[in-house]
Amino acid sequence: MVDTSVSFMRSLCMGVIEEQIVLPFPRVQDEQRETLRTVIESIRQLLGSKETDFAAWDRAGEMPKEFIEQLKEFGLFGLIVPEEYGGLGFKSTAYSRTLQEVAKYDASVAVTIGAHSSIGMRGLVLFGTDEQKQRFLPRLATGEMIAAFCLTEPGAGSDAAAIKTRAEKDGDDWVLTGNKLWITNGGIADFFTVFARTGDESGKVHMTAFIVTRDMEGVSVGPHEHKMGLRASSTTTLHLDSVRVPEQNVLGPLNKGFKVAMQILNNGRTGLGGGAIGGMKRLIEMSTQYANQRQTFGKPISEYGSIKLKVGQMVVNCYATEAVVDMVAMLIDQGYEEYAVEAAISKVFASEALWQAADEALQIAGGNGYMCEYPYERILRDARINRIFEGTNEILRLFIALTAMNDVGSQLQELSSTVKGIFDDPIKGFGVMRQYAMKHATLVTGYPRAKSRFTLVDPLLREHAAVFEDATRHLAAAVDRILRKHGRNIIGKQLASRRLANIMIDLFVLACVLSRVNSSLAERGAEGAQRELDILKVFANQVQRRVRHAFSLIDINDDELIKGVADYAFEQERFVWDNI
Amino acid sequence: MKILVALKRVADPANHNKVKIPASGDRIDTAGLEWQINPFDLYALETALRLTENGKNPKKREGEVVVLTIGPKETETNLRSALATGADRAIRIEAVDEELDGRLVAHALAKIVEEEKPDVVMMGKQVVDSETNMVGQVLAELLDWPMATFAATIQEQPDGLLVEREVDGGVAKVKVTLPAVVTVDLRIVSPTSVRSKHTEAGFKYPYEEVRFAPLPAIMQAKKKPLAIKNLSELTPDLKSTTRYVKYEAPPGRKAGIKVKDVQELVQKLATEAKVI
Ligand SMILES: Cc1cc2nc3c(=O)[nH]c(=O)nc-3n(C[C@H](O)[C@H](O)[C@H](O)COP(=O)(O)OP(=O)(O)OC[C@H]3O[C@@H](n4cnc5c(N)ncnc54)[C@H](O)[C@@H]3O)c2cc1C
Repeated sequence: MVDTSVSFMRSLCMGVIEEQIVLPFPRVQDEQRETLRTVIESIRQLLGSKETDFAAWDRAGEMPKEFIEQLKEFGLFGLIVPEEYGGLGFKSTAYSRTLQEVAKYDASVAVTIGAHSSIGMRGLVLFGTDEQKQRFLPRLATGEMIAAFCLTEPGAGSDAAAIKTRAEKDGDDWVLTGNKLWITNGGIADFFTVFARTGDESGKVHMTAFIVTRDMEGVSVGPHEHKMGLRASSTTTLHLDSVRVPEQNVLGPLNKGFKVAMQILNNGRTGLGGGAIGGMKRLIEMSTQYANQRQTFGKPISEYGSIKLKVGQMVVNCYATEAVVDMVAMLIDQGYEEYAVEAAISKVFASEALWQAADEALQIAGGNGYMCEYPYERILRDARINRIFEGTNEILRLFIALTAMNDVGSQLQELSSTVKGIFDDPIKGFGVMRQYAMKHATLVTGYPRAKSRFTLVDPLLREHAAVFEDATRHLAAAVDRILRKHGRNIIGKQLASRRLANIMIDLFVLACVLSRVNSSLAERGAEGAQRELDILKVFANQVQRRVRHAFSLIDINDDELIKGVADYAFEQERFVWDNI
Repeated sequence: MKILVALKRVADPANHNKVKIPASGDRIDTAGLEWQINPFDLYALETALRLTENGKNPKKREGEVVVLTIGPKETETNLRSALATGADRAIRIEAVDEELDGRLVAHALAKIVEEEKPDVVMMGKQVVDSETNMVGQVLAELLDWPMATFAATIQEQPDGLLVEREVDGGVAKVKVTLPAVVTVDLRIVSPTSVRSKHTEAGFKYPYEEVRFAPLPAIMQAKKKPLAIKNLSELTPDLKSTTRYVKYEAPPGRKAGIKVKDVQELVQKLATEAKVI
């Protein structure tokens, strides 16, 4: 039996490789593969001939109502709704794969579907009561109701806990007042998952999630926002003016809204990840075709090393993104409870890989890439949002690193029952930090511990597994050293945390790539999986170099210097030098 | 009306440049090819669906459409997608592509027809891979049924089907009584090409291609019956009688040339191309 309460990455930060979590690589079942193939083919028929429409809707900043009706009829709004409520009942894997396909054609369409399913109604699916599901899911499945997720406010983006929207109890109802900002699907949604402040008797501030529907009095939305990308997707404000919401519309536990919001975002991340993969696959198609046909100096540009490097890296990154997103989807589908760090990693990696691919594809197309006649610039504009929404990559990096360090804090608790985790009481915690470091000195010296090796991978992959194992010792040592160095100040040391997060991101993705190639090897043999072995080798070597570099910067770096330069700029609020 | 539609999977014609022939020339290397249903067979499926519905209410089947293919397990994907677009049942006859030829396929189909007793057997006029254009004709002969090949339009009438066939230099109108074999051509999927007795006169299909399945229908299709039979049991004494001697890629086309003006063009046409 697998222990679904264990997190691969959280264990890894303690130097433990829980290999059975990531091996073997999840493969879609035969029957589901057949269904997905048909789904993919149908999506191609629905969207494949609409490229000129997508370009026009991007310019117009809106997609027509008739097209949204077509999406509804096609069934794209019912992807994650359980079959008993009239949906398709897709789990994360199939959902992610479907969004991938949609995103190949147009990111605005993918985000319209994604905001509905990944976040808009996911709270209802995860936390809703039977009565709530009965009341809304059948209409959400057909698209008769479109859903939106409403957390962000003018004063509360990354700092979601700072929301001002209030919910006051009045008799049996709650009365909600406040303003939400940049709500995807705002203009077309009827079902809003709204987060508002609720206080308990002691006056402590909490957050609670509510189901708000368009027909409630006092609900209104602002005009369609003009955006850089995703221009055809609807983004609006949402105004709640003393909206009466019945008690039975409280979603999830009262006063636990922050947790509800985070779980929705974590659980929905494979939608964004799938979208990024779709984008990258399309970019690879476009770039390879373009480079094969564009000639300079008498040769197709695909023959030049500089172009090969770009395309090769795109392929490696796309392979890695697909590995990590599918792995997270599998963790969710298999019922793992602790996947927040892994999901955050997949989001950061996917959004950055897509951005890099969009940028390089545009570069490969040269001046044509810059022309609106070609889709490159639109794809680039559309891709940019992924590093910002559903938690900015900065915030997610902090989350990834601090979770690891918090775990080490908890471990300390176990070492000495009188000491609380540093995140609760940093000063006390620091006292035993040294003890901890001594005890874990084995990690640094490479002394073999339990579960410090991959035992389930093919012997052909030993060399790459060793890269991972070696880097794992670096990771555990890095957590250790960073904590020793900064102790209770770690929360303020973002550059140290960032380094740690980058190591963790690289390692988890590498574990997923290793696992994926391991499965391909088992299925197709060394010859059949040769290219994938090459991809693994390239990626593993890149990870090794990055991790070593990051590790070397823990003790010796320019962190304080560069922050000083920035502080000077903040003081001046301009660039002070000039050459005239 | 009960219609049996025969489907064959072919390598995606849009990817024909991926078709590779090894140096030995003894086979076609099918690794890495993407498969889909032969386009003409898809038209046949669309035709069968139109003949068994009221065009205004395409979700309700007025009759039965059974789809059939001969091929390996992977072809079930193609059958499922045909079920998702509206067919009621599917039959797969287990066989590998290499052991088949048109005659053998026609014999296997005839056996299935004996069991299923459809009113019409419908298929594409030919497949875009081997292009033999013979299965429909051989089958009609084996069954001793009337046939209408290259159908461009079909009207259902009380006593049969009125079919317009595309022939060299014009259109031939034939009336077939049922049961019959019909093979279809490209134009059969035009908005007004096919009319069942349930569809009112003047009705136009809002598309000019083959319908595709919405997602809920794909899920429902998983529950539709798919029967599997064995070629060796249907046609125990028969083998393919076609022998492939050698495979060769067609010669690559020579690069074109640019001409300065009309004069040069005329001159080249006369002296180099020797066509005028
Ligand atoms: C097109 C679009 C669609 C959206 N859709 C939705 C939606 O459907 N529902 C919804 O609720 N929201 C939505 N959002 C809002 C989105 O989630 C927020 O923009 C995002 O969370 C960032 O918040 P912010 O814009 O206020 O940036 P801020 O929080 O102001 O951050 C500004 C910058 O500072 C960084 N930063 C902030 N705090 C820290 C810190 N502690 N340490 C280090 N760096 C920090 C951030 O990473 C960022 O780079 C959408 C936004 C856009 C643009």
